[in-house]
Amino acid sequence: MLLQAIDIKKDFGQEEVLRSARLELQAGEMLSILGRSGSGKTTLLKILAGLESPDSGQVLLEGRDITRLAPNERNIVYLYQEPLLFPHLDVFENVAFGLRLRRLPGEEVSDRVQRLLESLELPEQADKMPHQLSGGQRQRVAFGRALAVQPKVLLLDEPFGALDTETRASMQELLQHIARKFDITALFVTHDLKEAILMGSRIGLMQEGELKVYENKQAFIGDTTTGVQQELDFWRGLG
Amino acid sequence: MANRLIKYFFIGLLLFPFAFLLLLSLGRGWAYPDVLPQHWTVENWRFIWGIQAGLGRSALLSLSISLGIAGPVTLASFVVSKFIAYDRHRRRWLVLAYLPYVFAPVILAACLQGFFLRAELSGKVWGVMVAQLFITFPYGVIFFSGFWNEHMLAMEQLVATLGGTVRQAYARVLIPIARGALMTCFFQVFLISWFEYGLTTLIGVGKVQTLTLKVFQYVTEANIFYAALASCLLVMPPVVLLWLNKKYVFSRVG
Repeated sequence: MLLQAIDIKKDFGQEEVLRSARLELQAGEMLSILGRSGSGKTTLLKILAGLESPDSGQVLLEGRDITRLAPNERNIVYLYQEPLLFPHLDVFENVAFGLRLRRLPGEEVSDRVQRLLESLELPEQADKMPHQLSGGQRQRVAFGRALAVQPKVLLLDEPFGALDTETRASMQELLQHIARKFDITALFVTHDLKEAILMGSRIGLMQEGELKVYENKQAFIGDTTTGVQQELDFWRGLG
Repeated sequence: MANRLIKYFFIGLLLFPFAFLLLLSLGRGWAYPDVLPQHWTVENWRFIWGIQAGLGRSALLSLSISLGIAGPVTLASFVVSKFIAYDRHRRRWLVLAYLPYVFAPVILAACLQGFFLRAELSGKVWGVMVAQLFITFPYGVIFFSGFWNEHMLAMEQLVATLGGTVRQAYARVLIPIARGALMTCFFQVFLISWFEYGLTTLIGVGKVQTLTLKVFQYVTEANIFYAALASCLLVMPPVVLLWLNKKYVFSRVG
């Protein structure tokens, strides 16, 4: 098991955000986590990334307890809804950012970044500044920056939430493609039912601070509490 | 044509006080109702370096105090304002930062004078610098309080998950992004310190003769030529800083 969260509990003041969240993530797997706003999805991701501390519970990475480990020592990258590109760096340097932090030799940095830019269909944009890019291109650069450091786990917090429908669809396709190509292990948080089914090899549903992870997509679709059946009924009704 | 005339008129209006000061500093024997001084001389400017006048020394002292305040205050307030911005009691801290401005600096100095006397800082350059911190540091904190927001926090957290330390986050992301704000804050803190009169007079007890104090001294002595000369020196560093700001900060924004 690559990543495990065991009975994670987190309160913010009087508010109980996570009750007893558990999850297991295999290497190379992408788990979608579906849930309404305020259901605790982001808090769970931040705890896994080390950006928040749980009140109780454990986070294990490859069997090692990383619950109290600083975020910069986990090799787990957290991606926000906003691409958060560094405005003073061009596309190349944004993607190279994590490699520069690790002080890798210039040639290696250049090779890795070039390869990533090609995979992300961005080689023409290498010299551009973030403000010169479209929303989709910015998000691709953000992926490139995260993938460059070869993280053990990628945490994606509604990464396509700010994109228009068309760009969102093409980004979903691109992410699926690069996930296969780079054998990415990821948690994909969304509140969009269709996106959750499309992106995840398994799906988890976050409700009132608890995470229920389904064995497979069929189990998720078959559960009447997930809202999938109502959605299907709606579309059948239109037909 | 009319627009151009209006533009030149306003430029003239803005530059007139400076030109007038320069004119005064080069003149001698200017009695009413003469339009111009009777004699033109650079003697006043030679006087700058005269031991008796000590204008040159005052200029250097002012420059040292203002640079010594502006640099550390800019950096310290940049860091401290971050902790305040993300603190649960953010509003309370910011109210405290506004306090020195609720009182006039002179009243603040009068309140602090007793402490400065006990600490033997009264009448010393260090004392004046410490006193100026009471108004410049809160200013810096207020200045940067708007810089730290959810977006900057997310950026810092992103650097951490990409493997960066706090130091690397500052060096590679936060400071480069804040470069314009840092320069503007440095410039403004420098100006506050440079033109500071009330605190410097009370805490310096006349022993710390900054250029601003010299100007007031010449004005009260009715020595208009030396006052003009000192004023010319007084506006020089801010003008240089304004030019640097325009060149390196506003040009980037544009």
